[in-house]
Amino acid sequence: MQFNFDLVVNSFPLLLVGAGVTIKITALSVALGVVIGLFVGIARISRIKILRVLAAIYVDFFRGTPLLVQIFLVYFALPVITGQRVDPFVAAIGSCGINSGAYVAEIFRAGIQSIDKGQMEAGRSLGMTWVQTMRYIIVPQAFKRVIPPLGNEFIALLKDSSLVSVIGFEELTRRGQLIIAKTYGSLEIWISVAVIYLAMTLTISRFVAYLERRYKTDDRH
Amino acid sequence: MIDIENLRKSFGDVEVLKGIDLTIKEKEVVVIIGPSGSGKSTLLRCMNYLEEPTSGKVSVDGIVLDGEANINKVREEVGMVFQRFNLFPHMTVLDNIMLAPIKVRHITKAEAEDTARKLLARVGLADKADAYPSQLSGGQQQRVAIARALAMKPKVMLFDEPTSALDPEMVGEVLDVMRKLAEEGMTMVIVTHEMGFAREVGDRLLFVDDGRIIEQGDPKEVFEHPQEERTRLFLSKVL
Repeated sequence: MQFNFDLVVNSFPLLLVGAGVTIKITALSVALGVVIGLFVGIARISRIKILRVLAAIYVDFFRGTPLLVQIFLVYFALPVITGQRVDPFVAAIGSCGINSGAYVAEIFRAGIQSIDKGQMEAGRSLGMTWVQTMRYIIVPQAFKRVIPPLGNEFIALLKDSSLVSVIGFEELTRRGQLIIAKTYGSLEIWISVAVIYLAMTLTISRFVAYLERRYKTDDRH
Repeated sequence: MIDIENLRKSFGDVEVLKGIDLTIKEKEVVVIIGPSGSGKSTLLRCMNYLEEPTSGKVSVDGIVLDGEANINKVREEVGMVFQRFNLFPHMTVLDNIMLAPIKVRHITKAEAEDTARKLLARVGLADKADAYPSQLSGGQQQRVAIARALAMKPKVMLFDEPTSALDPEMVGEVLDVMRKLAEEGMTMVIVTHEMGFAREVGDRLLFVDDGRIIEQGDPKEVFEHPQEERTRLFLSKVL
């Protein structure tokens, strides 16, 4: 066995470009996932039954089917219905964000439900509406509590974004495959790819740990 | 001020309130006592619709509590103090007090802060404006909770066992604030186990047991000459 260090060094700039794309997909998908997750999560505990049902269906479907299949659905199946090609970038962020939204929704729901019932009662008894109480009292407190599980979700999403390589989107994994196709350096390139993923996920987990310390909840009663 | 007609409330199969009729006049201080599980807290919580009555009518200041719109209107006029304080832990004391007046009454921030600081001085906590609830003792937290409720300038104040979660040495400071409030003419409904306070401050005492008002009247009268056997039994245990 021979390990070609030159190949690693030479490929690294290209792989980093791929890593940049991975970060971009992940960041945009996270943003989409958080927005979807917040609304779906709140809908899950709404007093309006139809909202609860729709939100539950959403969560069940996107958590219950593989992300890979969802990517195929958006990229290959959707155009059959609409007759229009879907841009790979839109397909990548759309499917990752929508998928992540289902998980984030459950994280937010659990976070909101973990807030003492008395907080809602206090807000409502002061004449604030349900929406106002959610916005100013419940959600800000829930946010602090969901930082650790949200961090896990973001790490999972970063890794799962490698799946969009199947629709030819040139993120880190796809870049690796392309380089290997030319150089046959499976060992060197896959190790490099793994190391770069690890560097990114470690960065996220450190950042999450920092946020956790920073927002150390002062909600002892 | 508060009118209750044939109020019934069930949780599942359990009927907690079995037909309550009650009228509370302006400036009246009504104290509700009774064994735990008697329905006294539920009765109080029906007065601002934190519990939805199963049947019967509750009206506050002439507004019947039914639709969502009415409920918020009424809640603006009815302050509530909870057993477990329920301060907002992520906000300073000052922000706790200012939030609802700004969001609900739409007054300016400066005006809200002015009111909040005055109220804090009134409950003896002027120096705690920038503290977080977790930095305060139970008694201090409950006084902030009272100030928070008062900031909405309510017409009625409901107290749900306000001293039950406090260490004994802190009960006095909270009762003092309530006593002052009563003297200033606030309409108050108080669920409590503090019999001495009930006797001293209450204009009227209600003894509630098994979802019904068993007996009511002048606190001193009820304490000294209870008419009902159940009242007598209860008082003999707690006095």
